[in-house]
Amino acid sequence: MTKWKVPDALRSNLQRRDMLKLMGSGAAAMAMGGLPRMAMAQDATIAFWATATLDIGDKWQQFAEQEGVMPEFTDNGNDVGPVVARLAAGNANDLFDLGGFQGGAERELARQGLIAPWDVSKIPNYESVWQWAKDIPYLTHEGKQYGIPTVVNADSIIYRPDKLGKVDSYGVIFDPKLKGRVAMEDAWINSAVFAAMYLKESENQPIGDPGNLTEAELGLVMEFLIKHKRDGQFRTFWNGWEQGVQLVADEEVDAMTGWEPIVYEGRKRGLQVEYAAPVEGYEGWGNNAVLLNGAVERGMADVAHKFVNGLLGGFYGCELGKSRGYMVPTDKNLAYAEEHPDEYSPEEVKLLADHVKAKFSGKVAWQNCRPDNFQLYEEWWQKLRNA
Amino acid sequence: MKASPSTIFGLVFLPLAAILALGLAPHAVVVVWSFWAWDPSTYWIKPDFSLAGYAAILEAGRWTVILSTLVKALLAALICLVIAYPTAYAVTFLASRRLAVVLLALMTIPFFTSYLIRSFSWRLVLGRTGVVNTFLQDVGLTSAPIDWLLFSDFAVMVGLVASYLPFATFPLVLAMGRVDRIVLSAARDLGAGFWTVLRTILLPLTLSGVFAGFLFVFVMVAGSSTEVQMLGGAGASIVSVMINDVMRVANYPLAFAISTIVLAVILGLVLIGNWTFGLARLFEDRAQ
Repeated sequence: MTKWKVPDALRSNLQRRDMLKLMGSGAAAMAMGGLPRMAMAQDATIAFWATATLDIGDKWQQFAEQEGVMPEFTDNGNDVGPVVARLAAGNANDLFDLGGFQGGAERELARQGLIAPWDVSKIPNYESVWQWAKDIPYLTHEGKQYGIPTVVNADSIIYRPDKLGKVDSYGVIFDPKLKGRVAMEDAWINSAVFAAMYLKESENQPIGDPGNLTEAELGLVMEFLIKHKRDGQFRTFWNGWEQGVQLVADEEVDAMTGWEPIVYEGRKRGLQVEYAAPVEGYEGWGNNAVLLNGAVERGMADVAHKFVNGLLGGFYGCELGKSRGYMVPTDKNLAYAEEHPDEYSPEEVKLLADHVKAKFSGKVAWQNCRPDNFQLYEEWWQKLRNA
Repeated sequence: MKASPSTIFGLVFLPLAAILALGLAPHAVVVVWSFWAWDPSTYWIKPDFSLAGYAAILEAGRWTVILSTLVKALLAALICLVIAYPTAYAVTFLASRRLAVVLLALMTIPFFTSYLIRSFSWRLVLGRTGVVNTFLQDVGLTSAPIDWLLFSDFAVMVGLVASYLPFATFPLVLAMGRVDRIVLSAARDLGAGFWTVLRTILLPLTLSGVFAGFLFVFVMVAGSSTEVQMLGGAGASIVSVMINDVMRVANYPLAFAISTIVLAVILGLVLIGNWTFGLARLFEDRAQ
């Protein structure tokens, strides 16, 4: 007996999740006297499990028409802890083909055999990715490429020049004159890096990589933060976009570490706010595409490569830049905008690209959601909370 | 008419199965897993009898978070009761039927929005440029914003009480509604004043409602996080935040151990309270 075999590109998602949906839409189309567009029938789908801000919503349809792959987007919550847990002990590898994760967990996931290496020869657009983005330290493991940088940017300090003048150092966050007028993020993933950068670059403390502190370095950094917390330096530690904006908009703080879009939001609300270019450098961050092992087992690897190639193809970068101010690290964005000036302004795309490139032209410490001593980071963070 | 055993079994089977499947089973799993050990090779836990999770509670000041959570829950529950008791009294004994319905409806308004929105709105009220500080400065009571109104234990308590007050009020309204008004009238006819009636009749007859209200608020606060994260000072913590921190770094046995401790405290509280105050009386048939 011959066993019926589904072509690779059509296996997986169509079978696993969309069959009922497809049957439903098929029935509806028959009832209307027609069939769904052939182009749609030929499209492969891929289950993309990523940070919510990577979703371009209705624009995925246009993406699918160009690239031939339609994602089923699921928000992964952005928090790498539950993401890793769901991959290791849950059903994430059964449900999803591709991850879009905060950078840093790639090596650990690779060691656990939860993700598979990319074959960059099947991603022609990877050639166009900016070199410094290709050089993000945790994208590779044992010589294999496990992460493809999809979005990059760099964070520093939001401040009020009318109160503080020009700020160019993280020292402002720890300045006793600003006691109770500054804030940091409620996450060691960011705050420990900022403090480490300051201690390394401005206080000449013996710190190697601020994104991956050794036990001794971590102790040094966290004791420093604990001392300042005990002194009442911080107004609060903030969480999430709206809280960050509120701190600035309601003049709760004069300076805080955080995301650049908060500056734009503050300006929209009529405030004089700036984003610092600190002498200690920026905290770079990346959200990277990873190939889940489940996709390989289901024969979806080629579709995943095709999809990621599409992410780097220009349209996605233009759309993400326009909708969120995020940067896909490739000049393909500008090329696409120049070819489609009616859709995207080449000037704006270039401006964003130049702005991000300028940030990365100086010192950068990469945010790392899974440093080697990550459980120790949590222990120190508890000490800081309870100090 | 007496129901047959098979009918009774048929009626209780579904709720019993739901309690076992949705309540007891997950909690039992949490308790068992709290003794398992983290396995770095699988990134999950493996069967063991390890007390490492419990030992870790004593490190990094984690036990102080559990203690401060219980204190917060206790304080919030007591404040809620102090506010809810006269409120329930007014609704039950003073307001007309129509007004009582309106008052109860007003109390449910906070539930129309999420905890997040409610907590966030307190930031706008208590902040440096918020309603309270602006008013105090406008009337000349202060010359500069009061900082401790927001991002402080005070702000957290305001947020908790505002969020969970209805959970104390409704059981009290229920309990007071069960008090026979003839008993209260008889006491007054015999010369008892308001405070004597309250102390010797109303309070003893509504103790089950008092405890139910206390318990609801206590449990809700013990499991809350939004108010602390939105309104607390730098790095303010509560058990839920700590569990989240721990889960983020995959330290599952520790997270389960913390949960088990909190579970044990709450279960103990329920048993002691029921034994002392007779929680079940709140649901007894009035005719009996």
